[in-house]
Amino acid sequence: MDYNTFKEAVIAAAKAAGLAEYELYYEGSEDTSVGVFQHEINQFSSSVSGGVCFRCVVNGKMGYASTEDMDPAKAAALVERAMNNAAVLEAEEAVFLCAGGKTYEKLDITPYALPTTEEMISTALSAQEKLYAADPKVVDGCESEVLRQTFRVAICNSKGLDLNYENALSGLVSAAVVSDGKEMTNDYQIELGKLDTIDVDAVVKKAAEKAVGKLGGDVAPTAVCPVVFAPEAMKSLLAAFSSVFSSEAAQKGLSRLGDKEGQVIASPAVTLVDDPFHPQSPVPINFDGEGCPTHTKKVIENGKLNTLLYNLKTAAVAGKETTGNGSKSGYASAVGIRPFTFYLAPGSLTEEELLKKAGKGVYINSLGGLHAGANAVSGDFSLQSAGFLIEGGKKTIPVKSFTVAGNFYDLLKKITDVASELEVKATGMTAFASPAVLVSELSIAGK
Amino acid sequence: MIQSFQNFKAKEVYAMISKAVCERVLAKAVSTGADYAELFAENTLNHTINMISDKVDTIGDTVVAGAAVRVYKGLRSVMASTVDTSEAGLLRCAQQAAEALGQGTAGIDIVLKDSKFEDIHPIRIVPANVKNKDKIAILKDAYFAAKGYSDAIVQVEGTFLDVDHNILIASTDGVYAQDRQIRTRLSVSAVAEVNGETQTGGCRPGRRMGMEMFEFIDPKATGLKAAKQAVTMAGAGYCPAGVMPVAIDNGFGGVIFHEACGHSLEASSVAYGQSQFCGKLGEKIANEKVTAIDDGTIPGAWGSINIDDEGTPSQKRILIEKGVLKTYMIDKFNGRRMGMASTASSRRQSYAYTPTSRMTNTYIAAGTDKNEDIIASIEYGLYAADMGGGSVNPVTGEFNFAVNEGYIIRKGKICEPVRGASLVGKGSQIIQDIDMVGTDMDMGQCMCGSSSGSIPTNVGQPLIRVSSITVGGR
Repeated sequence: MDYNTFKEAVIAAAKAAGLAEYELYYEGSEDTSVGVFQHEINQFSSSVSGGVCFRCVVNGKMGYASTEDMDPAKAAALVERAMNNAAVLEAEEAVFLCAGGKTYEKLDITPYALPTTEEMISTALSAQEKLYAADPKVVDGCESEVLRQTFRVAICNSKGLDLNYENALSGLVSAAVVSDGKEMTNDYQIELGKLDTIDVDAVVKKAAEKAVGKLGGDVAPTAVCPVVFAPEAMKSLLAAFSSVFSSEAAQKGLSRLGDKEGQVIASPAVTLVDDPFHPQSPVPINFDGEGCPTHTKKVIENGKLNTLLYNLKTAAVAGKETTGNGSKSGYASAVGIRPFTFYLAPGSLTEEELLKKAGKGVYINSLGGLHAGANAVSGDFSLQSAGFLIEGGKKTIPVKSFTVAGNFYDLLKKITDVASELEVKATGMTAFASPAVLVSELSIAGK
Repeated sequence: MIQSFQNFKAKEVYAMISKAVCERVLAKAVSTGADYAELFAENTLNHTINMISDKVDTIGDTVVAGAAVRVYKGLRSVMASTVDTSEAGLLRCAQQAAEALGQGTAGIDIVLKDSKFEDIHPIRIVPANVKNKDKIAILKDAYFAAKGYSDAIVQVEGTFLDVDHNILIASTDGVYAQDRQIRTRLSVSAVAEVNGETQTGGCRPGRRMGMEMFEFIDPKATGLKAAKQAVTMAGAGYCPAGVMPVAIDNGFGGVIFHEACGHSLEASSVAYGQSQFCGKLGEKIANEKVTAIDDGTIPGAWGSINIDDEGTPSQKRILIEKGVLKTYMIDKFNGRRMGMASTASSRRQSYAYTPTSRMTNTYIAAGTDKNEDIIASIEYGLYAADMGGGSVNPVTGEFNFAVNEGYIIRKGKICEPVRGASLVGKGSQIIQDIDMVGTDMDMGQCMCGSSSGSIPTNVGQPLIRVSSITVGGR
């Protein structure tokens, strides 16, 4: 049950099967979490998980097989499964493994001692008491959770690649439930990084504030009007539509940006950056899911689409170099494409100035149902929203239970301004971020 | 080859952990004073074949194997999981759970008995024993039926999925149970382009069955349905926004009850005061036309189980009867906080997730209204022929879902198709507003995501009318 022993067994089995090109990818983590309900620890969980993916090239096709059962006696079976799977594939694109010997950016990861279980328990309990104290409207139902994770990735292949990555992080989740006697609602705040440097008071206060802000409020009136998306809302919209920047989606006709590289696709206010080393990301990484070096790039620069995101396979189809965006969404997945820290670059206006410029419209700070109400192929979205009315250039009454509808491709052109404040919060390898943005016109459906 | 479930249960299922080992692991788990301990072990084969651009593109083939030990003491729970299922690995995992619980001494005896439950979902053709090429033939039938439907179809994605999920549960209340949960699914998603506008359509039938599912699911019909929806929607204008009556058709339309109400009836929300329906047992919470059921015992249905993930034999529960709330969906642990027994609702995606109460096959039961009367009753509104996914906040009951295929109803007649619609509202209000319920109940398949992971569930209903709901469009 040890990765290194299993790795040797798999390599021996691959050689014995006569394979010339193969790769073994490992991803695993150790996770611990402590949860508080009312005034007591009610949940504790700890898991050791991990699995490997073996892939190999047979007659020009890439076969995959994965397992969590790292019994060396089963290594040969894993290799055989991948070969069998390769045998029935038909895709004609050339497949590649990353060659070893490439130069990788040096990562600045300071060794970090994770909090002990006792420290986690004490922080969780005190966060919960602070949450109750944050606002008189906070009621039972609220929860505090502290977590820690050690995350490991390793890739080795027949072309001399042998990479390892390890990172550790800890964090706090504060989930507030509030009631004004008539109505109950909730919201939460997550902060990841290093538990001992997290400002617990600020996290808890933010969670309570967000929840209290949702109490009361009316259904927004149906209108076509300017919309200001708060950072959290714009971030989730960007996440829902990030696949439109994937060259794989473009090559398969699942994005409308396939023939748009070098062209203006957004307003001059829009610059979209992908940064694997963002200083606020707790998980910077210098190689992608195929083992290729990662680097920072402007995907959109002042409205112009500089590049889509590529991996080895899609880059070869397009006659380009990979952008180091090959990715796996878990050890078992096929190599796809994803950004790292993907954010809209800040502009010059403050959020107040943005609201003033909007004049009359809707400020949206929460979007729901993005997995269903946002269609990345067509770009259409129609999403449950909450926020505030904007009247006289200021946020006024809270509104909810309405939808905002539009098309993402059009929206990129209708962003007139991006605010100046950017905060990056990663909850995994991929993080999305945005300052507040002003969109000149979208459809609001309410009463 | 046709095999009975019992035969391969004994021979082919991986060597599960013996009763004696389970007893030693549970003894270790309760060594610091837990009043309940449970071992859950799993060996699952997930197999997927994907087609895109007319070619078999990727095959996913994954063994998920591991175990988790859970202990309770009063209202506290601890879970530890591991990929090491050797006896030493399981004992380490149990030790870790016991230590996390705190200081104390063992207070319970452990005697495991073979759990007796009926196999209500016998499998005839185990997908894991079927060759890739035979599955690909089925996938291609569906794929090319969609591709060939119209010149407007510019791309198709197809997936053949089968899962062979073997579980073992042993717990200090004497449970020693094993189950093999096999499911099969065919999924087609089509993209149509009409006058430069692209839209998608999908069809994704699945069953808790093996390959015998295709004796009554026609792959070609699956592909055609996806393609037809994409072409219809690509030619459609945008749905107008506003508040209006909506008729939602059967099958996947049942997602409205799943989101608007179902999640709020799960003990994982109710036990913590995080549900719009807390404290409402015996009260009228829905329109008297609404009777809603969660039934894990329907033979071969996508969301069915023989036992839940705490080893409790599957049940059929009436959640709401003629508008009155009858029961919640409860697992053993949350049942403690509520002072109520399990309703066999404990589910988890895998050993790595802490289980909690979840839905199985959840539907609004057939009523007495005729379909034509429901449509005829609407002067101006929306007919939602097919729904997409949705989500809900169980605390507030605020939900949303997408309409994949919608049509405007004018003067009691279904008229032109409209795209890009979504429905939003508040669960406690919407179930009061379901004021007509048709006679033809049908179910649709989905993967439901929540704290214990992604699990297969069915949603269902007959054609219903919601008297008034906010339709998001433009």
